[in-house]
Amino acid sequence: MVINTQAKPRLLKFYSFQVRYPEPLLLPSFVTIQQVLGQFPRRDQALPPEKHQELVRGVFQLLSARPDSVSNFVEVDAIFGPGMKMVYKHLATLYFVFVFDNSENELAMLDLVQVFVETLDRCFKNVCELDIVFNFNKLHTILDEMILGGQVIETSSEEIMKSVEEIARLEKQSSTTSLIPKSISERFSR
Amino acid sequence: MALSGMRGLSVFISDIRNCHNKEQERLRVDKELGNIRTRFKNEKGLSPYEKKKYVWKMLYIYMLGYDVDFGHMETVSLISAPKYPEKQVGYIVTSCLLNENNDFLRMVINTVRNDIIGRNETFQCLALTMVGNIGGKEFSESLAPDVQKLLISSSCRPVVRKKAALCLLRLYRKNPDVVNIDGWADRMAQLLDERDLGVLTSVMSLFVSLVSNNAEAYWNCLPKCVRILERLARNQDIPQEYTYYGIPSPWLQVKTMRALQYFPTVEDPNARRALFEVLQRILMGTDVVKNVNKNNASHAVLFEALALVMHLDAEKEMMSQCVALLGKFIAVREPNIRYLGLENMTRMLLVTDVQDIIKRHQAQIITSLKDPDISIRRRALDLLYGMCDVTNAKEIVEELLQYLNTAEFAMREELSLKAAILAEKFAPDLSWYVDVILQLIDKAGDFVSDDIWYRVVQFVTNNEDLQSYAAGKAREYLDKPAIHETMVKVSAYLLGEYGHLLARRPGCSPKELFAIINDKLPTVSTSTVAILLSTYAKILMHTQPPDAGLQQQILTIFKKYESYIDVEIQQRAVEYFELSRKGSALADVLAEMPKFPERESALLKKAEDAEVDTAEQSAIKLRSQQQTSSALVVAEHPSANGSAPAANHLTLVKVPSQTVSDIPESSATYEEVSNPTVEALKENGPVEVESKATDISEINHQTKVEPPSTSRSTSPADLLADLLGPLAIEGPPAAEQYPVQGLDANQSPVGDLALATLEDQSNSVQPIVNVEEKFHILCTKDSGVLYEDPHIQIGLKAEWRAHHGRLVLFMGNKNTSPLMSVRALILPPSHLKMELSSVPDTIPPRAQVQVPLEVANLRASRDVAVLDFSYTFGTALVDAKLRLPVVLNKFLQPINLSPEEFFPQWKALTVHSLKVQEVVKGVKPLPLPEMANLFMSLHMAVSPGLDTNPNNLVACTTFFSEATRAMLCLIRVETDPQDRTQLRLTVASGDQYLTFELKEFIKEHLIDIPRTQAAPPPGPVQPQLPAAVPATYNDPGAMLAGLL
Repeated sequence: MVINTQAKPRLLKFYSFQVRYPEPLLLPSFVTIQQVLGQFPRRDQALPPEKHQELVRGVFQLLSARPDSVSNFVEVDAIFGPGMKMVYKHLATLYFVFVFDNSENELAMLDLVQVFVETLDRCFKNVCELDIVFNFNKLHTILDEMILGGQVIETSSEEIMKSVEEIARLEKQSSTTSLIPKSISERFSR
Repeated sequence: MALSGMRGLSVFISDIRNCHNKEQERLRVDKELGNIRTRFKNEKGLSPYEKKKYVWKMLYIYMLGYDVDFGHMETVSLISAPKYPEKQVGYIVTSCLLNENNDFLRMVINTVRNDIIGRNETFQCLALTMVGNIGGKEFSESLAPDVQKLLISSSCRPVVRKKAALCLLRLYRKNPDVVNIDGWADRMAQLLDERDLGVLTSVMSLFVSLVSNNAEAYWNCLPKCVRILERLARNQDIPQEYTYYGIPSPWLQVKTMRALQYFPTVEDPNARRALFEVLQRILMGTDVVKNVNKNNASHAVLFEALALVMHLDAEKEMMSQCVALLGKFIAVREPNIRYLGLENMTRMLLVTDVQDIIKRHQAQIITSLKDPDISIRRRALDLLYGMCDVTNAKEIVEELLQYLNTAEFAMREELSLKAAILAEKFAPDLSWYVDVILQLIDKAGDFVSDDIWYRVVQFVTNNEDLQSYAAGKAREYLDKPAIHETMVKVSAYLLGEYGHLLARRPGCSPKELFAIINDKLPTVSTSTVAILLSTYAKILMHTQPPDAGLQQQILTIFKKYESYIDVEIQQRAVEYFELSRKGSALADVLAEMPKFPERESALLKKAEDAEVDTAEQSAIKLRSQQQTSSALVVAEHPSANGSAPAANHLTLVKVPSQTVSDIPESSATYEEVSNPTVEALKENGPVEVESKATDISEINHQTKVEPPSTSRSTSPADLLADLLGPLAIEGPPAAEQYPVQGLDANQSPVGDLALATLEDQSNSVQPIVNVEEKFHILCTKDSGVLYEDPHIQIGLKAEWRAHHGRLVLFMGNKNTSPLMSVRALILPPSHLKMELSSVPDTIPPRAQVQVPLEVANLRASRDVAVLDFSYTFGTALVDAKLRLPVVLNKFLQPINLSPEEFFPQWKALTVHSLKVQEVVKGVKPLPLPEMANLFMSLHMAVSPGLDTNPNNLVACTTFFSEATRAMLCLIRVETDPQDRTQLRLTVASGDQYLTFELKEFIKEHLIDIPRTQAAPPPGPVQPQLPAAVPATYNDPGAMLAGLL
């Protein structure tokens, strides 16, 4: 979750996961929603926007009340369910927030936030909020190279950059667009 | 990424940014959504580029919090696009917008599968990422084998394999069957040999999940984990890009140590040694440095290492090293580390033997309670709560109370609940407990649930010592200008019940009490009004002499509330009004509340229920199981820490009452009559309780005993089986005789020890009081010491009601270490029905437990009940058989008869067996007044003047038993002033057994003061009576033989 200091979401990603096992829930993630899941009004969509707005508001309220000198950990049982924790980093106008359960090491998560920020920095050369606003799709790409299904997949920002660059290269190569074969889209429209 | 090429998206984002308010934003979004909708409808004209652009816009709108309920099909269809950019957008946006249940996803399963098994690595990555993010049952079923293949394939690039690992993890969670454990243990071991750290990190996540589900299956992987740790932490054999601020991949280290914590233990000595070497290196080699990121990373590893050390139950040396480190952390400036230090210290409480070291940091922890960071304050609160015991309860609870003044609202409820629980669990004395709770109500009334004040009332009601104190305190609070309504409730209740105890204090006359309470009446809610009305009625009752003015005032209030809207209050008002006019009847109805039955603290229960079962909380839970409630066990002196016995689960032993005459009716009637008695008890108000104290030094003083209060009641059948052997399992009373018989056989060799307790000959621990003497003292008194040896003191306190009795055994541990395997078994004679409450298995150091014992008298007999009591202290087993002073005179109630009542009765009893006369010789010479005193002490009322001869003595009493109910007994003693060693004794009653038993009983007491002589001389035996052989009256063994 990336939110700016005006409570505007800049990046949200939820790795929801229905609980199968009582222990442990290994879900380090941007947000792990468990009990909310059962209350979805529609079964086929990800988190309904009303819900995630509520989460953003809840998180922002907590964060905005915290001065800079305090710890980076907040217990968020009230918002995300029992045992959930949150680490955040406040950088310039942005909060970078990770929410996870008690099966993760808090400081390691904080390190991961740092890796994410460093990667953005490399990618955008002195990242600022505007970069993030206009390149939110790129953020998704970076995030996907770092976290998969709520688990850390890559911790080296160099490796992440390599993958992201490769993706960019692939995009450029094929930007000479060709139409999607009609047969496929027609199949869907039926 | 072709962002520059998506001008439309950038424009849209700019527009949104330029919106000044939410309304404008909504308009812009709606316009865009409308646009996208029409474009999608007319799909044919849509270029892939446009499609891609719109899909990104949809994701952006969704993120802003607007509903995007269309276009899903278009999004999903992009996945099937042949070119990378469209495909990528399709995969990313799909995994953000949709979940596993979406129908469109089913339609692309084949496409996804083709991407996964295809040759294009970039497509593989995209597909794996989406499947890993969405999960889904159908994906799991159809794709798991392919994903597995990718993971173990040697030809795949690491970038694919690491994604396959996490994708498989997600599928495994959805459906654990996808990983077949048999094959996977070996495969996993191979995967853990992986050199590429990216792949290894992902594999480790998968491994943690697998091993957490079934550690047994993956034993072979344990050494591999240790090797990975060695590789990282010791050899630092790692590519440059995986060192993070100089630390070799902290994430992998953390994950590996996490995985190791799922194994119950590390048995292999080599692996264990290697592991501890690495851990030692981590523990010692981490310093706080300037660079924040480096600090975080190194401490992430360090804290995980601490957790692993705790889990592995390392040697004490290493543990104290850990505590020392934590002690350092909780004092550093860096808030994150302070936070984690506190958190881990709370976990550390689980480890035995370190609590003392943790306590040394108490001052520092209390400082953290004042930290500006609420996260840290919460951690400090948890830790203080966990580390609290009798030694530091006072300090900690008072600190919490102080903090309550400044705590933010969010924390107050938790804080007050915790303070209340600690006060109850570890109160060094009960007046302190009352103080704490009243302060709590005063400071945070809103957060004090009813449970908390009910509990105070229970304690005060059950402890007479406390009553005037509590009432006085309540009175003080009422003087405060604005008090919380809960305080009004509790004060009014206490003053209603016990206000009269304060009558002599200034400002505490009934009138003044009424006035100050009545001041609150206009402002309180209905539930409080009800309490106030009761209080008024009670004040009125206690006003002696009656005060007409006060009565008028109170009656006016009752009258006023007779038409109140709330039915409960109406009823109270009407009833109190009527009762008040009845005068003395009021006193009966409104007598002091009887003691509350002992019950589990609702508060503690609530706390237990509320606890989420995570590691740190179970630490607290465990401790709360080890430490009994103060109400049950009050330990006065500082107990050595860590001495809380781990085995103390308060398993309680219940001993069934045994009756030889296993007539079903007898137990039925017992049940029947017990109820009226209880009612009688209620009506008469609480029975006078002589004295009580929570102070152990006073307990040494024989008569001072502990007030009853909470207890738990469980009677695990298996424990019973332990005690009584396999026979007990058969259940019926007849079976229960066998163990008694066996015991009898064992005891007969030492039977001639007679009056003394029958100590097992191997007993090295001897009583330090004269047990026989104590028994005889207790025969005429209702409280005192029954037994005492260097380790334990057993006190006793009894209350009698007709043929029922309630005894409480007070077992006080005099040592600083616990008494283990405490067992108590009652061997009742046939005429008594006895039920002993459960006895805790362990008596904590310096603590006292109370064991109630219910007695019912079935018929007259002089047989004595025996308490078979044993415990182990260290290696010594101490076993004592103690006679219980449940003797005939306990069921006597003296009665004074006038001559007009006496003589007709006396004359009516002419039947030989009902009226027995005997010349008793060898009587201890006593002056007549002393003899009268002796009779009085045996509950027989001497009525002077009934017999005209001044040398004679006539006494009357009522004997209660189930068989006889209340039966009048008449006794006449004719003494010879010339020879005081002989007298003629006549006893008459309506029951021949009773007459005989009572005569023998009086004889025993007349012939000698029993404590100076072992056994009374044999008296005549009447063969038709089932009495024991007189020579063995006091030999429990023989007595038991008689029993059978």
